[in-house]
Amino acid sequence: MSRAPLAGVRIADFTIHAAGPFGTHLLSQLGAECIKIESKTRPDAFRKPHAVYGRMTAATFDQVASNKLSVRLNLKQPEAIELAKRLVSVSDVAAQSFRAGVMDRLGLGFDELRKAKPDIILLSLSSCGQTGPDSHFAGYAPLFGAWGGLGAMSGYGDGPPVEMRHVMDHTAGMHSAMAVVAALHQRRRTGQAQHIDLAAREISSAMIGDALVQASRGETPARTGNGDLAMAPHGVYTTSVPDRWLTIAVRNDQEWQALVGVIGKGGAATDPRFATVEARRRHQPELDALLDQWLADRDADATAERLQQAGVAAHVSWNMQDIADDPHLRARGAVVEVSDPNIPHRPVVGAPARFTKTQDVGIRRLTPALGQDEDYVFGELLGLSSAQRADLEEREVIL
Amino acid sequence: MQEDTSLPLSGCRVIERSRTVAAAYAGRLLATMGATVVMLEPEGGSPLRKAPPLLDGGKGESALFAYLAAGKRSLVCDLASAEGQALLDRELERADILIEDVPLKARAAEGLTQEAIAERFPALVHVSVRPFGASGPKADWAGAEVNLVHASGEGFLLPNGLSYELFPDRAPLKIYGHFASYQGGCMAALSALSAWWAVPDVGGQYVDVSVQDAMLATGAFALQRLGDGSLEHRATRRFRYGGVFEVKDGFIELLTLENRQWDGLVKLLGDPGWAHEEALQDPLERSRRGDEINHHIRAWMIQHEAEEIVSRAQELGVPVGKYRTPEEVLQGSQERARGLFVPLELADGSEAEVLLAPFQFRETPLHLNGGVPALNEMAREAREQEAAA
Repeated sequence: MSRAPLAGVRIADFTIHAAGPFGTHLLSQLGAECIKIESKTRPDAFRKPHAVYGRMTAATFDQVASNKLSVRLNLKQPEAIELAKRLVSVSDVAAQSFRAGVMDRLGLGFDELRKAKPDIILLSLSSCGQTGPDSHFAGYAPLFGAWGGLGAMSGYGDGPPVEMRHVMDHTAGMHSAMAVVAALHQRRRTGQAQHIDLAAREISSAMIGDALVQASRGETPARTGNGDLAMAPHGVYTTSVPDRWLTIAVRNDQEWQALVGVIGKGGAATDPRFATVEARRRHQPELDALLDQWLADRDADATAERLQQAGVAAHVSWNMQDIADDPHLRARGAVVEVSDPNIPHRPVVGAPARFTKTQDVGIRRLTPALGQDEDYVFGELLGLSSAQRADLEEREVIL
Repeated sequence: MQEDTSLPLSGCRVIERSRTVAAAYAGRLLATMGATVVMLEPEGGSPLRKAPPLLDGGKGESALFAYLAAGKRSLVCDLASAEGQALLDRELERADILIEDVPLKARAAEGLTQEAIAERFPALVHVSVRPFGASGPKADWAGAEVNLVHASGEGFLLPNGLSYELFPDRAPLKIYGHFASYQGGCMAALSALSAWWAVPDVGGQYVDVSVQDAMLATGAFALQRLGDGSLEHRATRRFRYGGVFEVKDGFIELLTLENRQWDGLVKLLGDPGWAHEEALQDPLERSRRGDEINHHIRAWMIQHEAEEIVSRAQELGVPVGKYRTPEEVLQGSQERARGLFVPLELADGSEAEVLLAPFQFRETPLHLNGGVPALNEMAREAREQEAAA
């Protein structure tokens, strides 16, 4: 019988915004039961308009909230804190993404949670980490990119740094999910409780790990833009249709000869300016001119196919419609179609990987309504009666 | 070498056959958390040993390989030979996880097909991480970083904000280095550990990881926006106000999502009259008039220095950060306080510093289990031990 690899793992999920929720979303895709804790007064970002981003209403579907169960707890109330601890006591993992110190002030710090569950794994994902002089700094994805160095290393050679967007949040989330599963293994082996302290800005630094090694030797790493230090040609090229770009990366001389074979310019094959990667890099402008001329009246998609058949790494610069329509991503289940009575059919990101035995990986349910799973969580898991729950709602502990 | 048993993955043995950054990063993450990761390298070594950037002005060791191989072991294994296959069998016999990135066409020749491994090593977790995965119509497509960051949709959306405003006609831009490959590597590590978690229930299994899928997963919000009816483009994917600003001595990032942060920003800018206009107290109206607001902010920013702006902004609760160079990150007081960097001995015996891990396990602090391994150091050690015996 198929199941998911992390079936049986339960997460009490206090994370908000994007980075933390993406990490727990991945774990939920892998089979963990993830209970999202919010309140009417402090709902997660997707339940509100996101005006700076241009979204003027609440989201009807939120990728990083999908698969999760939802309960309400008003964490300003001491009784809600006690209920949160009870929830943690029946969980394997607690995850949070508040600013450093907030969980301690709420009475939900690691030491308190360990009293509730002696082998708890607490994931604390924040912008700058739980310690250090900047630990109180607030931040979002573009700031992680700025602080960690990835933003400054990305960009046109003569331009400003590049602002990192949600991929920055989500790579932090993905790393956090991986660290959580490592901690589960440690707990299985030793019974050890663990507090994982992940700083998103340090993930940004991990993305420039090579440049940081260079800097440690007193060298100044180069911002390479679309170029590459070992491949030529290498870049993003115009084609016959405006804004339909083709990426090409020639990794060695054999691939260069294959490319020349497709181009059909016999002279280029023996041109000494292009004979070796060093020579091609020295003559990059002539090389790019050759490609620009060849590609000017060519269809990007057909050319990518043809180059791939010849063994040359090429791909069109895809927009999200291309992604949604791609048979390859659909065949892999990386893009799937979802819908429910309130949500028309839409493409979403599906399974993060394909498992041969534990195949039940991916999206099982869509965005939860606030508090929709309280019968199961408060009723079944915590054993609260209907009367108790009504009383807690009346007193705005459950809110 | 004495094995540390306290780390999260102590006792876990990983065999890594890598020629790409994705597979090597997966191994690096596992090694960092305490796994013993053995790189089975071809004769002459992994191509990553010569991958740029190279130290010493382009003549020395690979900084990329130093970063990716720190804390691993090295054993040469020629998979085209019978001896190599026997060595592979011996290593896999005592391994928990195999991570490899062998192209589909080469798998049979290297003895690394899904079926062959599953039959001989039923308790082994076998993870392949390839540009487009191991199944699907494009499974045999070649993909370098620039192809993959664009195949997953994020490349088309970069740059945005100020960089796009300055250069709207230029080609879209990749992220520095190997960002998509790192996503593939992290997903491979996550998948490996998840499959390993399930071994007591189902035994070993094969997991097919694709760099394209992993990078797409991190860009999921753009697909979400498509589902909402909006096809994103780098020209329009920008914060309505805020973003990258040039200051006297570099660039800073500013982003205010909450009303209280906007109020702090107004104070930071010295309470200018324009910011107190009644209509601008509405966040939706601010979004509609973002260009006008940014015009005012830019005029103010260019007259001030980054450190002054950042320290005042943080006092006021305004999220602002300096775009820091690698040198600044390396010397950063926050990074030093958190021990982000550790000394590293390279394969040639020289010294550098390397980022240890982008996360901390506070109950059992991480450390590197050795430097950058010299090629085939495990075989040399074995010979030395034999000679000593």
